[in-house]
Amino acid sequence: MAGKQKMIKGFLTATLLLALLLQAGCAFKDIDKRTFVVGIGIDPSEKVKNGFRVTLKLAKPIGNVKQESTPTYAYISHDADTVAVAIHEMETRVDTVLDFGHNRIIVMNKELLTKDLDTFMDAFTRRGDIQMICFVAVAAKTSEEVVRFEPTIEAPASIALYNYFDNTGTESPYVVTTFLYEFRREVLGKGKDTVLPIIGVDKDNQEFHVTKSIVLKWGAKPVELTAEETKYYNSLVNKAVGFSYKIEEDSMFLVLNVTEVKFKYKIVLNEGDPRIDMKIGIVGNVGESSQRLSGKSLKKYDKLAAEEIQKKTMALLTKLQENNVDPFGFGLHYRATRLSRKGLDKEWEERIYPEIKFNVKVDVELQSTGAVE
Amino acid sequence: MTEQQAPPLLNELSKKFKPSDDVVQTPLQIKGQCAFLFYVRTVVDGDKLQQTVIKPFFEMASEEDYASYILSLPNQIEIPEIDKLLMLISAGAVIVAIDNQLCLLELRLVKNNEVQETTMEPTIHGPQKGLSEDIGTTINLIRQRYHRASLKVEDIIIDDASNIAVSLLYDSDRVDPEVLKKIKKELGNLKTPLFQSGGELQHFLNKSKFTLFPTAMVTERPDRIVYNLVAGKIVIAIDGSPNVIVVPVIFFDFMASMEDNYHVSAISGFTILLRYLGLFMCIVLPSLYIAMTSYNPEILRIELALTVAGSRIGVPYPSFIEVIFMLLFMELLTEASMRLPKAVSGTATTVGGLILGTAATEAALTSTIMVIIISAVAISTFVIPINEMSFAVRVVRLLLIIYTSLFGMVGLLIGFLGIIMFMANKDSLGTPYLKIPWKSKTNELEGGQ
Repeated sequence: MAGKQKMIKGFLTATLLLALLLQAGCAFKDIDKRTFVVGIGIDPSEKVKNGFRVTLKLAKPIGNVKQESTPTYAYISHDADTVAVAIHEMETRVDTVLDFGHNRIIVMNKELLTKDLDTFMDAFTRRGDIQMICFVAVAAKTSEEVVRFEPTIEAPASIALYNYFDNTGTESPYVVTTFLYEFRREVLGKGKDTVLPIIGVDKDNQEFHVTKSIVLKWGAKPVELTAEETKYYNSLVNKAVGFSYKIEEDSMFLVLNVTEVKFKYKIVLNEGDPRIDMKIGIVGNVGESSQRLSGKSLKKYDKLAAEEIQKKTMALLTKLQENNVDPFGFGLHYRATRLSRKGLDKEWEERIYPEIKFNVKVDVELQSTGAVE
Repeated sequence: MTEQQAPPLLNELSKKFKPSDDVVQTPLQIKGQCAFLFYVRTVVDGDKLQQTVIKPFFEMASEEDYASYILSLPNQIEIPEIDKLLMLISAGAVIVAIDNQLCLLELRLVKNNEVQETTMEPTIHGPQKGLSEDIGTTINLIRQRYHRASLKVEDIIIDDASNIAVSLLYDSDRVDPEVLKKIKKELGNLKTPLFQSGGELQHFLNKSKFTLFPTAMVTERPDRIVYNLVAGKIVIAIDGSPNVIVVPVIFFDFMASMEDNYHVSAISGFTILLRYLGLFMCIVLPSLYIAMTSYNPEILRIELALTVAGSRIGVPYPSFIEVIFMLLFMELLTEASMRLPKAVSGTATTVGGLILGTAATEAALTSTIMVIIISAVAISTFVIPINEMSFAVRVVRLLLIIYTSLFGMVGLLIGFLGIIMFMANKDSLGTPYLKIPWKSKTNELEGGQ
């Protein structure tokens, strides 16, 4: 009997404990009690001195995605003297919990890049729910404008800015991608300077413009790269392909479609002047031409293309060198392949890099004329 | 001519059986020859009795001739002590007394000896007939598929109210003697007032009070039985049950279908993969829904997170109540369609399908995603080939839901680990339950244990 009583007692306790499950606790937050933040923009504040204006893009839950014709987002902006305070104060302006778990883009104002960059960046890297795989970008004008902008092409439940920077959407050599972890590492570390995409807004055509980029060296003035320079940088460092080079010769022109890029370099210090030997290999085919091309003369076009590309690469490298920024990470390479000693990075930065010569060799290999004969 | 007295044993027996009306004690008499019959009318084959016992009596020249005729009959058995004798008579034995000499003949009338269709473990290829409810027919079916002298059939007397016939079948060349000894001891120690089916016996063989996973397999397929006999396992057959029990078993036995042996390797490999995927899905999916919607929505893709959030608009209860509610409905539906007569079960599933399908979402009781998950779970539960395991999985699922609603994703992982640890700790008659059979099929069949 005692055993039975014990069993009944145990059963009752279990049921009572299970009944506690009905009381949803504090950690338990259903998905409909959360508001997903899908974009953060930071601008310098006009109201608060030395403060920030933080803009959040919030996704509204949609009952039926397919029936929704327009994107359903809400936006809030708030001014405060730090980013963390602004976010906390914004929590009072929304009825549900702000969930940063799905945020994948942080847009910064250009002015902030020179200011105390590390303080507000800290707010993001310290917050556990902001993922380090966030994309970091710079707004052409203000980040509020970028975050609040809804291009016509944007579909419901699909965020246009995410599609730009992860490789599931568009893959263009004009778009550079920098993650938050990279950004932090490259800004605070030495030897490599970070490259951030610049997001512009074209109000007339209702679209984003992501072509240019900016090279950021902490404490120095940022260097803006043109669309063309961004393309060259991106194709070399990130092996971005799917672009074309136009080559003109006399009266004809032809356009190369690049399908593969190889890039290798070596820092040579012990043979005369310090120099960097660079080898670029490009594989592709002819995408457009003003004349009928013969397969036999492909070698000739190879050479033409190589010369053109060599010139442009040299121009990019010299520009970067003149501005004393190093997004290729030559400095990092140098430090990683030398025995560590005091002043190693200073030596590179102040003595070697400003003087170094570039020796670029380009190899273009056209696989076909691109036409069916 | 004086009338002969019936032997005292018969009188004693008839006293024991009184006042049953179907007990017959009758003398056979012709010209000074005399014999007595004692039997229970309702369990004895009357035709056979007439042909082999009564008719020859009147055709024989003398009592001695008749006695030697009776003693040479193939179904003659030795007379045991009184307790067992009573049991045999009630099972259909006939006592023939000739001149104070007693013979016992087995003339059982068995009506339930038809071979049944396989219903629990149907296959497309492979034998379509299962076993029979009569133990004699069952053993016959097994012996007819396994012609070897080493196949032993041992009758076990179990001390319960019904004195039901239980037989142990094994291949003495292949069986592990330790396991055999253990199972015999277990069956000898069985302290149960009554048991009537294979499933019940396997329940009693489990010593602990609370068991989650079956440690003996109940099967109805003769091909699976023979496969297991060859692999050195022991089969327990019970009279009146169309299933037999196979011991010892490991977890992975429950995930094997006999169909796997009848297909080409690519197809059976694919189906095995599908089955394990189904197992994993039906255990984890409901809990995963809770973990993802209520604790860690960042695991989902943004599109899915927004859709889930959208489809939960207006759902009044938290996600785990939603899951438990829908699972409960599904379990009720499964249970109802199993127990109902076949004519009605169609209606039950249709009505249930309507509720689970669209009405529940339209009434905003659950989200649409939930309906998809529940149907995926329901379907994948049925992929598990042995029923006992799919029942066990249904319970495991609930435990995981409790863990997950308390501790989120971490709870799901810890609960899952806990289940694996629980299984690793378990054994079936000394064989570790999670033993991974690193053996090819041919090795398994050749080497026994």
